[in-house]
Amino acid sequence: MRLRGENIIITPDRFDPEVELAGFRRWPQCAGAGAIVSFTGLVRGEADGLTLSHYPGFTELQIEKMAQQAMQRWSLLGYKIIHRIGDMRPQDPIVFIAAASPHRRAAFEAVDFIMDYLKSQAAFWKQETRGGETRWIEPRCEDMRDLKRWSK
Amino acid sequence: MAVILFFGRLSELSAPLDIDLPKDIKTVDGLIIWLEENYPALKSGLKHKGNRIAVNHEIVDLKSLVSNKDEIAFMSPLSGG
Repeated sequence: MRLRGENIIITPDRFDPEVELAGFRRWPQCAGAGAIVSFTGLVRGEADGLTLSHYPGFTELQIEKMAQQAMQRWSLLGYKIIHRIGDMRPQDPIVFIAAASPHRRAAFEAVDFIMDYLKSQAAFWKQETRGGETRWIEPRCEDMRDLKRWSK
Repeated sequence: MAVILFFGRLSELSAPLDIDLPKDIKTVDGLIIWLEENYPALKSGLKHKGNRIAVNHEIVDLKSLVSNKDEIAFMSPLSGG
């Protein structure tokens, strides 16, 4: 089940980042790209599991606004964002971002920016289970500092 | 009928609410005071510094207007990726 169109996908289903990247490379808008950068975030091994929830409709809308900013700021040819919700185990892919641009720097920076946004500004909520106990994960100071880099 | 949603840590304090707002509630601030009076479980959570509030999918502040047709969401600090 996928809850949005091609560019932004929020899904309770496991996904394969390599398949997604290969699919993205075949998009017509990527045909003239000189660079495609992708990032995959995995559930770290120290937890027993993660559960993510979101605000259907709102989360997608806010991510789309941010991604449109990235498209303009770095003159991207295309982007794709996949974010998991639901229950995940260690090493499951949790997020995938890809950006295509004529030159490498723009694609690197756009993916870095989008990831910083997702960590602390996108409407997701994360619970970690460790040793039988569940706790909410909230943004760290480093996450907020990372985001501030882009307001210069 | 207004719909009031709670996300993240706040979802542990209350299920979603469908309520007829009293006519004297005009702002988010007023709504919070009314919710705290009528739903004591929410008292500890709604004014947390890192929370965000959205009315009809737009982020708003405490002085923003609310009406009986709105979807109002209270969100604890966000964390994705």
